Amino acid sequence: MMRLSVSRPEKLYSTPITDIRNTVGNVPMEWYQDYPHIGYNLDGKKIFKPIRNKDELDEFLDKMENPDYWRTVHDKTTASDIRLTDEQVDLVHRLQKGQFGDVNFNEYEPSVDFFTNEVMIHPVTNRPQDKRSFIPSLIEKEKVSKLVHAIKMGWIKPRKPKETTPQYYDLWAKEDPNAILGRHKMHVPAPKMRLPGHEESYNPPPEYLLTEEERLVWEQQDAEDRKLPFLPQKHSCLRAVPAFSRFIHERFERCLDLYLCPRQRKMRVNVNPEDLIPKLPKPKDLQPFPTTMSLVYRGHTSLVRSISASPTGQWLVSGSDDFTVRFWEVNTGRCMKTLEVGGAVKSVAWNPNPAVCLVAVERTVLLLNPSLGDRLVVSSTDQLITAYEPPEEDKEQAVTWALSEGLEHNMGHRLTLTHPKAVKQVVWHGKGDYLSSVMPDNSSNLQVLIHQVSKRRTQNPFRKNKGLVQCVSFHPLRPYFFVATQRYVRVYNLIKQELTKKLMTNCKWISSMAIHPGGDNLICGSYDCRLAWFDLDLSTKPYKMLRHHKKALRGVAYHRNYPLFASGADDGSVIVCHGMVYNDLLQNPLIVPVKVLKGHQITHDLGVLDVTFHPTQPWVFSSGADTTIRLFT
Amino acid sequence: MSQLQTRFFTDNKKYSVDDVPFSIPAASEVQELSNVINKLLEAKNGSHSQIEFDFLVRGQFLRTSLSNHMEAEGISTEDVVEIEYVERFTAPQPEECMMHDDWISSVEADSEWILTGSYDKTARIWSLEGKAVMTVAGHTDVVKDVAWVRRDGLTSLLLTASLDQTILLWEWNSERNKLKARHCCRGHAGSVDTIATDPTRTKVTGEEEEVEEPPSRPRKKQKTEQLGLTRTPLMTLSGHNEAVSSVLWLDSEEICSASWDHTIRLWDAETGSVKTTLTGSKVFNHISYSPLCRRLASGSTDRHVRLWDPRSKDGSLVLLSLTSHSGWVTAVKWAPSHEHQLVSGSLDNLVKLWDTRSCKTPLYDVSAHEDKVLCVDWTDSRLMLSGGADNKLYTYRYTACETDAGA
Repeated sequence: MMRLSVSRPEKLYSTPITDIRNTVGNVPMEWYQDYPHIGYNLDGKKIFKPIRNKDELDEFLDKMENPDYWRTVHDKTTASDIRLTDEQVDLVHRLQKGQFGDVNFNEYEPSVDFFTNEVMIHPVTNRPQDKRSFIPSLIEKEKVSKLVHAIKMGWIKPRKPKETTPQYYDLWAKEDPNAILGRHKMHVPAPKMRLPGHEESYNPPPEYLLTEEERLVWEQQDAEDRKLPFLPQKHSCLRAVPAFSRFIHERFERCLDLYLCPRQRKMRVNVNPEDLIPKLPKPKDLQPFPTTMSLVYRGHTSLVRSISASPTGQWLVSGSDDFTVRFWEVNTGRCMKTLEVGGAVKSVAWNPNPAVCLVAVERTVLLLNPSLGDRLVVSSTDQLITAYEPPEEDKEQAVTWALSEGLEHNMGHRLTLTHPKAVKQVVWHGKGDYLSSVMPDNSSNLQVLIHQVSKRRTQNPFRKNKGLVQCVSFHPLRPYFFVATQRYVRVYNLIKQELTKKLMTNCKWISSMAIHPGGDNLICGSYDCRLAWFDLDLSTKPYKMLRHHKKALRGVAYHRNYPLFASGADDGSVIVCHGMVYNDLLQNPLIVPVKVLKGHQITHDLGVLDVTFHPTQPWVFSSGADTTIRLFT
Repeated sequence: MSQLQTRFFTDNKKYSVDDVPFSIPAASEVQELSNVINKLLEAKNGSHSQIEFDFLVRGQFLRTSLSNHMEAEGISTEDVVEIEYVERFTAPQPEECMMHDDWISSVEADSEWILTGSYDKTARIWSLEGKAVMTVAGHTDVVKDVAWVRRDGLTSLLLTASLDQTILLWEWNSERNKLKARHCCRGHAGSVDTIATDPTRTKVTGEEEEVEEPPSRPRKKQKTEQLGLTRTPLMTLSGHNEAVSSVLWLDSEEICSASWDHTIRLWDAETGSVKTTLTGSKVFNHISYSPLCRRLASGSTDRHVRLWDPRSKDGSLVLLSLTSHSGWVTAVKWAPSHEHQLVSGSLDNLVKLWDTRSCKTPLYDVSAHEDKVLCVDWTDSRLMLSGGADNKLYTYRYTACETDAGA
């Protein structure tokens, strides 16, 4: 560009000398590379290229030696070098500076306005106003009507007024407040500072000021033990209050409080406490069971140790520490018979079969005939006892059997078994011929004896002493024998004469035991307030431990027909539980406590001593240390 | 205070008032209503003396205020309330107290004499004035039940049942005061707890507590008048699984028995077969039948006196429960001349007089006894009797309202 602009004046000025203007026009000069000429001059003659072309070396030498090299330009159209004049160089400089090419041109001439900016009294033109400036425009009207129609049709909405209030949005609106990564999930509020009270006042009421002794005590105390971290002081006016000396210290402690505050939160497990209680049927659905006290059998003068109901349920026998055995009519509470036996009665048991009753007294076991009920049964029982013929050879027996005669016979005594030691418990076998007696003694093997009434024979089934025997029981159906020592219940097979099972009760001291009439379940009461239910098919450990009683259990019992069991304890209460045993072996027994029966008074720290069920009705008898027997129905 | 439109009516012509509606304060109770009636009667008849009335709204006795009662019974207060009024049954007055040597197990009275059985193995005959006339001794064990059989002029036949498994039939001449044992009835295998004579006074039924081998069947005996010292049962009614506690004749063809096996059974006396079985939920202690209202009342080993319809076929429907006792109900007895009234004795030492039209509260509580009440009875001659474990037999006199007898 610059080269072109330079070339033109060069042509202008060089024309008068030698006008070798090329007429080919603005075509690429490469087209003439292979020709000797380079174009045509004004006369139409060929312009020939210079003979010798300068090479690089010539160019360099020229650059070094020619002082006008800087003002020499190469003209491509004529392939000749042209040396620029001073005027031409000056012009180039002026153009490069953006100035006019003409030196004489003044670009700052003073301007003359055609229209003045002042308002003149005469118009510039005197042309009258157009008519159309006075009449409304039809085009405008058409446009307006179109807009109005569009607004009416709702095509154009009126512009909404702009809201002037500043617009914010909730950054955490979508955030789940319970999310673990929630922003404030772990927020622990800073511990609040105690608000100042009267003792912080500059002029506290006099009761807040410490006395001299209190001040001494305060000074001797450790800083941690002080109730107040400062001494309340009285100043006459606010001006007299000095600077707070502990200010830095207090701020420091506050900072410690804030940043040392435990930032970890204990995650509590939210469990509804009611979900932890096992689902049990309501007691209302488990009726019948005894609920109220109906009868009180009064007559004994000392604590009633043991009771037993007759197999028909018409009579009840009780043995007491006042040396008597009493027979009661169940449905009226009438004492039908009282027998003096000459010793404290520890245990009574009614024979399950005929009208024989068995009483354990101190060192003897008595067989009594209460002479209640059917005369035929009574006389046949007597015949059974008297029909005994002694065997030929007399064997040495552990106890002596003696037939009662005379007055004692009239009173009802039939047989007397004199034991070598004090008898604690007697129990009948289900068939009514065998009976067992317990003489607890830690030092000998003569603790349990099994007697056969019809043959008047006594056996000692155990050769070894396995511990203090508490109670024994016969299996209701099979030839098994249960022996409860202090901590274990052993089950023996009487036919094979071997130990079948040993049940661990987890109790400290067993007090009583009862076998389910089905024979597969067993309950144990213990002096450490527990009742253990064993499923003999399941395990040798308790299926369930019940700790409902507050004090030591004294007696437990199963009902013969109803799914009920009861336990009596020293806290004077009898607790009746529903204990359903299913025939299905896969289903565990259902145990639901249904009723706490209260009525017995606690005498000498003893409450209920024995419980037994009525054989046919859902009634429970309990005997207590308050000398009464009570019937709950 | 709101007012109720009421209309009073009565069956007793003597006390009838005009059949016009009255406006009565809704909160008024029996006493106020009674005063209203008395005022009305005074206005009608100048010589009228004050009489206590009881009021029945739709067959139920009014015991609270009128508005409370109607709310409880669900009666609309918009309509005119029909109120029936009857002369109030006056409280039974204690009359005599007859001391026994031992508990009284049973009592039966007729229009002239009272017969009691006692735990001292005797039965006694008393005059209505409370004078001991005769001691019937012969049993070797506790006398559990007694019954009059019939009376021909001065000669009476009476029965005693005992724990020694026998029933003795005695002939007693009241003029010479001579007693003769006529028959001894054997056959029970347990104690005989209850006996009943049929309405024609020719047959007797005894009942026992059963103490036999497991498939035990209690038996009933019937006996006709025959000579001979020992009698055996005419018929044995077997079916109860447990002891039979009470037995009675509904009429000369039907026997009803209540048992410890929670059932009441109706037997055909001719064939000895079970006709109906009513099943309860508790052991029955005693039953009583009223030919006037044809209902059975039963006392059982809970606090309720229950009423049954012996002729209902489905068998187990309890018509009504009368609940106020706090112990076992040991004895019940319908009034002989009133179809709504019965008396019950209980182990809570109380004798209660009931009206079936007020089942929530009894008419009267008689708290004379100091121990368990074991038996109650009721005679035509306006005497109520109760005996119990405090060895006392109480008699109470009451004034029967003739107007109610047929109502």
